Amino acid sequence: MMKEVKIYDSLVGNLNEELKEALRKVPLHLKGKVEEIRLKKDRPLMIYYDGKDYFVSKKGEVSKDISKAMIVEGNHIESTFQLISNYSAYAYLEEIKNGYITVTGGHRIGIGGKVVYGLRGIENIKNISSLNIRIAREKIGISDFLMPYLIKGRKGFYNTLIISPPQCGKTTLLRDIIRNLSNGWANYYEGFKVSIVDERSELAGMYNGVPQKDVGIRTDVLDGCLKSDGIIMAIRSLSPDIIAVDEIGGKRDVEAIHEALRAGIKLIATIHGSSIQEIKEKQSMREIFEERIFERYIVLDRSKGVGTVKELADRNGNPISFVRGA
Amino acid sequence: MFFLKLLSIISIFSICTILGHYYGQKYALRFENLVALEQCIKILETEIVYGATPLPEALSNVYKKGKPRVSYIFEEIKRDLVANKRSFVYDSFLEIAGELYKSLYFKKEDVEIVLSLGRVLGSSDRDDQSKIFKLVLKQIGAQIEEAKVEKNQNEKLYRNLGVITGIGIIILLI
Repeated sequence: MMKEVKIYDSLVGNLNEELKEALRKVPLHLKGKVEEIRLKKDRPLMIYYDGKDYFVSKKGEVSKDISKAMIVEGNHIESTFQLISNYSAYAYLEEIKNGYITVTGGHRIGIGGKVVYGLRGIENIKNISSLNIRIAREKIGISDFLMPYLIKGRKGFYNTLIISPPQCGKTTLLRDIIRNLSNGWANYYEGFKVSIVDERSELAGMYNGVPQKDVGIRTDVLDGCLKSDGIIMAIRSLSPDIIAVDEIGGKRDVEAIHEALRAGIKLIATIHGSSIQEIKEKQSMREIFEERIFERYIVLDRSKGVGTVKELADRNGNPISFVRGA
Repeated sequence: MFFLKLLSIISIFSICTILGHYYGQKYALRFENLVALEQCIKILETEIVYGATPLPEALSNVYKKGKPRVSYIFEEIKRDLVANKRSFVYDSFLEIAGELYKSLYFKKEDVEIVLSLGRVLGSSDRDDQSKIFKLVLKQIGAQIEEAKVEKNQNEKLYRNLGVITGIGIIILLI
């Protein structure tokens, strides 16, 4: 809990002075729970936890009462943007074009504003009107109970697909599985060489070339790289045993997955969805299902909190009984 | 009595010469500092436009690579920016404005150019930053030309004036 509070405080330390003042006064027991901080110009200061939005007053009181809320002003957003971008918007342009900035600690800050198009597509986001700060929580050990179902013998791994709706902890689970695969378990299996294609800098949370999250000792990261490009690059240059990608779905992703499988590389990926059936019906994923590429499906929901494993299934979609972790 | 007179004459002559030298030197120093500033800003341009180095690190690199007589102000800007977690880069530039007048002998127009850079530094993409640097360097170039003319006109003038004033006072006293 104290670690979670520290993460919250250090992130809040990067915000505008007045916002920092209010958010630092948020009760201790809530600091560890906050998943998002939402800043919108001329709108109330909001935090998000336990699946709900709450307003924050200047004194740090958290409530559902909008009248008490602190109003976020234009200069709060402007100066927070300066601070989080380290006064260097030019250095983060590639990320800004994708609508976010990753800061120390691997936290991702989504940006809303006027999108400027040029000859080569999106060129910039100007007149920034909102910032959505997602606190990256690292939960080490949450995948431990799943590992026996994903490992084949001492050196094998089942191609795995994590299916989850947004905000249900799929990236957190994937990250922990990667850590376990990469580090290995004494007397159980040896560590695998894992390559992460981290298109949105969420998995490893790279900052200045250093992963801010524990992704294991044998892990290479291709940061900010398109999944389709990154999978091919990893096959050619990083000799991985396993490639890990977050949020697959596009046609080009599927082509790259085929390429990886032809090279004898195993795969772990996540996808947005709420059930195996729903994913099967997606046009781009149909081929993958027909070929039974994935040998394990993990379906998540929030029924017992973020990251609850609702279902574990084999390549045919038949449920596998498993012992749930603590 | 003679020694006292001689001592007074030497003192008056020395003071007038030093004052003349000091005033003349200001023009020379402003010129030299502007040239050093131009070099520092070119380094900063390289760091930002070609290296995409984050601003605090870029400012430190200017301090390390630039001419020390001016480059130290970039380290001071960085220190102020980071230590005070300033909301805007311009605030840190304002902090060093006094130093520009006092230690570097810059004129109001010179300081305004530096401050104008502070208003927009780091806040836009590299293409925009490149245009800003070009404009600022052009303005500094013009200031250097002006400072050179002033230096040539006034440096010698003030030095000679100091010596002549000293001699004049001595003649009057004798």
